[in-house]
Amino acid sequence: MKKLALGVVLGAASLTVSACGQGLLGSDDAADSGPIVIGMVVPLSGASADIGPYMKNGAQMAVDEINARGGVHGRTLRLRAEDGACDPKTAVAAASKLVAAKIAVSVGGYCSGATLPTLPVFDRAKIPMIIPAANSTELVEQRLKHVFLLNGTGDQQALAAMSWMSKSGAKKVAVLHDNTSYSKDIATRTAAALDEPGGPEKTGLDAVNPGESDYSANIANVLKANPDFIYWTGYYQEGGLLVRQFRQAGYEGDFMVGDGSVDAKLVKIAGERAAEGVYATMTQTPGTIEGAGGWIAAYKRKFGSDPGPYSTQSYDAVRVAAEAVTKAGGTDGDKVAKQLEAIDGFPIFSGPLRFTPRHTLSNGGFVILVVKDGAFELHDALK
Amino acid sequence: MTAVRDRVARRPGTSAVSRLLESRHLGWAGLAMGLAAPFAIATPYAMNIMTSAVIFVMLAVGLNIVVGYCGLLDLGFAAFFAVGAYTSGLVATRLGWPLLATIPFVVVATVTAGIVIGGPTLRLRSDYLAIVTLGFGEIVRIIANNLDVTGGPSGIYGIPGLFGDHAGDPVVFYYAVLLIVAAAVLLAGRLGRSRLGRAWRFVREDEDAAEAMGVHTYRVKLAAYIAGAVWGGLAGVLFAAQLSAISPASFTFLQSALVLMAVVLGGMGSTPGVVIGAVVISLLPEILRDLADYRFFVFGVLLIAMMISRPQGLWPHRSRETARTAARSEEA
Amino acid sequence: MSQLIWNGLFVGSFYALVALGYTMVYGIIKLLNFAHGDLYMLGAFTGFAMLGAMGGLVHSSSLLALLAVLVLTMITTGTAGLAIERVAYRPLRGTPRLSLLITAVGASFALEYGTRIVAGPNPRVYPVRLDGVSVTVLGARVTMQQLVLMGISLALMAGLALLIGRTRQGRAMRAIALDPKASLLMGVNVDAVIARTFFIGSAMAGAAGVMAGGYYGKIDFLMGFIIGLKAFTAAVIGGIGNVPGTMLGALVLGMLESFGTHWVGGEWRDVFAFGFLILFLTVRPTGLLGERVTERV
Repeated sequence: MKKLALGVVLGAASLTVSACGQGLLGSDDAADSGPIVIGMVVPLSGASADIGPYMKNGAQMAVDEINARGGVHGRTLRLRAEDGACDPKTAVAAASKLVAAKIAVSVGGYCSGATLPTLPVFDRAKIPMIIPAANSTELVEQRLKHVFLLNGTGDQQALAAMSWMSKSGAKKVAVLHDNTSYSKDIATRTAAALDEPGGPEKTGLDAVNPGESDYSANIANVLKANPDFIYWTGYYQEGGLLVRQFRQAGYEGDFMVGDGSVDAKLVKIAGERAAEGVYATMTQTPGTIEGAGGWIAAYKRKFGSDPGPYSTQSYDAVRVAAEAVTKAGGTDGDKVAKQLEAIDGFPIFSGPLRFTPRHTLSNGGFVILVVKDGAFELHDALK
Repeated sequence: MTAVRDRVARRPGTSAVSRLLESRHLGWAGLAMGLAAPFAIATPYAMNIMTSAVIFVMLAVGLNIVVGYCGLLDLGFAAFFAVGAYTSGLVATRLGWPLLATIPFVVVATVTAGIVIGGPTLRLRSDYLAIVTLGFGEIVRIIANNLDVTGGPSGIYGIPGLFGDHAGDPVVFYYAVLLIVAAAVLLAGRLGRSRLGRAWRFVREDEDAAEAMGVHTYRVKLAAYIAGAVWGGLAGVLFAAQLSAISPASFTFLQSALVLMAVVLGGMGSTPGVVIGAVVISLLPEILRDLADYRFFVFGVLLIAMMISRPQGLWPHRSRETARTAARSEEA
Repeated sequence: MSQLIWNGLFVGSFYALVALGYTMVYGIIKLLNFAHGDLYMLGAFTGFAMLGAMGGLVHSSSLLALLAVLVLTMITTGTAGLAIERVAYRPLRGTPRLSLLITAVGASFALEYGTRIVAGPNPRVYPVRLDGVSVTVLGARVTMQQLVLMGISLALMAGLALLIGRTRQGRAMRAIALDPKASLLMGVNVDAVIARTFFIGSAMAGAAGVMAGGYYGKIDFLMGFIIGLKAFTAAVIGGIGNVPGTMLGALVLGMLESFGTHWVGGEWRDVFAFGFLILFLTVRPTGLLGERVTERV
């Protein structure tokens, strides 16, 4: 046993030594030729492990398309995905690994909480970040030069939710979140908008604990104010349970969910009958864009499964990155960031792309979906 | 049992290897290795995981005071880690101070937390204590998640580095962390050999006998608890400096369980054992990233296997008194 | 108001089923079985697998099928509980309590992440749902399936109370709880009785798991963690080691949570519950119905 302990130590030591040439005394040779490496930190293990492959595949698809057209400045693109596990510490380690691998652009970031601490890591190395999924407002609040959000932000989603509530004639709205940063962000922004005079009135802003099964106490709490519209901003696991339990508790008004809940499993958990007519705020997906059927078919051919959440945003992130590197004439981080700021009208799934001075999308591209016959479909484009 | 045979076959000093392991210079050798490591590899990634490992060592040494020295099972150790990280993060971002300057605040906060949590609960039986600390761990995390002053679920970001400059050079940071932790490890070892340390071991071996011999067990246990809290809190400061952003997601029950795993694996009460246990636990998942999802399953099985076959850990604490008691408990 | 009480009672009856296993094991060998909540999870997944295997058979008569699955699952989780006791706890009987606690934490991890390896990290959805009409009783909305599940829980608890209070097996369990060494001398097969206790406790947890799966519909590998903590809290409130006390404690905890959410908001619910746990442990560690126990040396 003691030998074993020593073996582990020696093993670790030899592993360290074998990596010679990268030490303090080693030389630092930057690669200006060869493939341009595009990195992404996505969850491949842990509680959100199922999201990572969707994002990775989406990005890989764009990389392959660009390479088939001859790459960027004659150099091919290569994708390198590292596991961030949705855990801050693991994500930072993964980000440093990518920095060590000399990536030109980062196109990852799913959990806002785990993405936040990776910002300084990339920023210090002057690596531009095009974040496809994480969309918490804190990400851009530090005004880092290299951070760009490619997903609609919480306030844009809250705005979309508000305009649909007014349009559908809601009077008393209850907002529910799950106390994660993404969900709370949308919920508090929606609640703040509801507090403005005019339009629907807020009856409550409440939180549930994710991972539980019985929400009857929360539901009784929400229903005592008799809302006629409920907006849930968390994920589908709890969303499905909430839809079902609200209906069981006799709630007959409208129910709307945020983009984290747009998943076929929501309908399965809630049951088709209860889920029918549930609205959702969601960004454009191939499923809701006319003429995007070809993209879905290509994705399926390549990876043998349907695209999932954030496949399209990751795909777009790589294309945007390639566009900026092309315009910048190289992989210098500052120049690429400048070109990203200058992009105007580059076509991506959510519409023509332009970044605001805060580096968020000028147009969040949120639309309203509805569950019809057990599946989400486009209901109102909010134009 | 094999463990018994192992022990009999390899008495202290029978081989060069074990003589090396028994050596008093072992700690210095470990420190030298840590100091030399960046000359072999200094990529940002390597520096990052090495820094994480060193911080984890600090946590494990802190928990070792509570679990290893004093025999109190704490399943919510991440609470102190969180208190330290949040206190320093808050003070630093609000007042714009470098993190090192926040340490007095952190010490006050963690001592208070130790008294608040330990005060009412340390009179309880050991198994109640385990679940109460688990409850407290969850409470601290939920409070951090719900309050606005702690930044809610997204936590605090934009925390300055140890010396004030934002994040700073990773190699410098690594050396700073390494030296701080080395001092903390040394101090913990000293504490374990002090008069108080002997009282802790006495309480662990037989609380009633200790009480009968005039040891004020409640006060002694509280001292262990507070010491553990301060170590955990200081580890939190280093953690905040390393990540620059902290959120409740880093302070879950899993984190507490991992630290416990390091302590149990290395050998409860043995400082070198715990240091090595911590290094192994924090580096292993980086080396075996593809097996990340199997990690906790393996840990669970290992915990059971260790307790059955080798309860003293891979690298047990050795001193005459405990060798005897260990031998006695193995006979039982 | 009456809705809050009914919600509390319903949730409390789930807590009670899980808490009983805790309390029995604790009462008899003074072991905090951390893995107990995970047997609830294991029950839910076993039920899920069985329903999947039965396939189309199920849809014709879902309640009957669920009952059959319930019994089979109870046997399975009971056996799993037996196995855990045999492998992880029995070899350590008589060692310091710290080792046993650590083993229990290990067993909990092994069960949770073992299930995760087998069934994957994503939540699963039960193929069968208990749907029913709802009636209004004294201003509270009560559904038929809630009544059925409450009925099953009460039947199981009553059976357990009879078993402990009236049978030979129950007498042996009570004797071991009082003094294991003397029981051994009096010819009680201590090992066998402890094993049976684990079987019964685990079977109850498994039953709760299947019922939760059928009622709520969503199961995942970490679902046992929180409920295990809550069940322990319930046992402490009622008096750990005391069977009627535990049932009472579970119902009290259910109500506390229901009203707590009402008063302080959903995000503080767990703080509220654990706060009560700590309060009870410090002020009245023997719980509502427990007798005063002195630590034996």
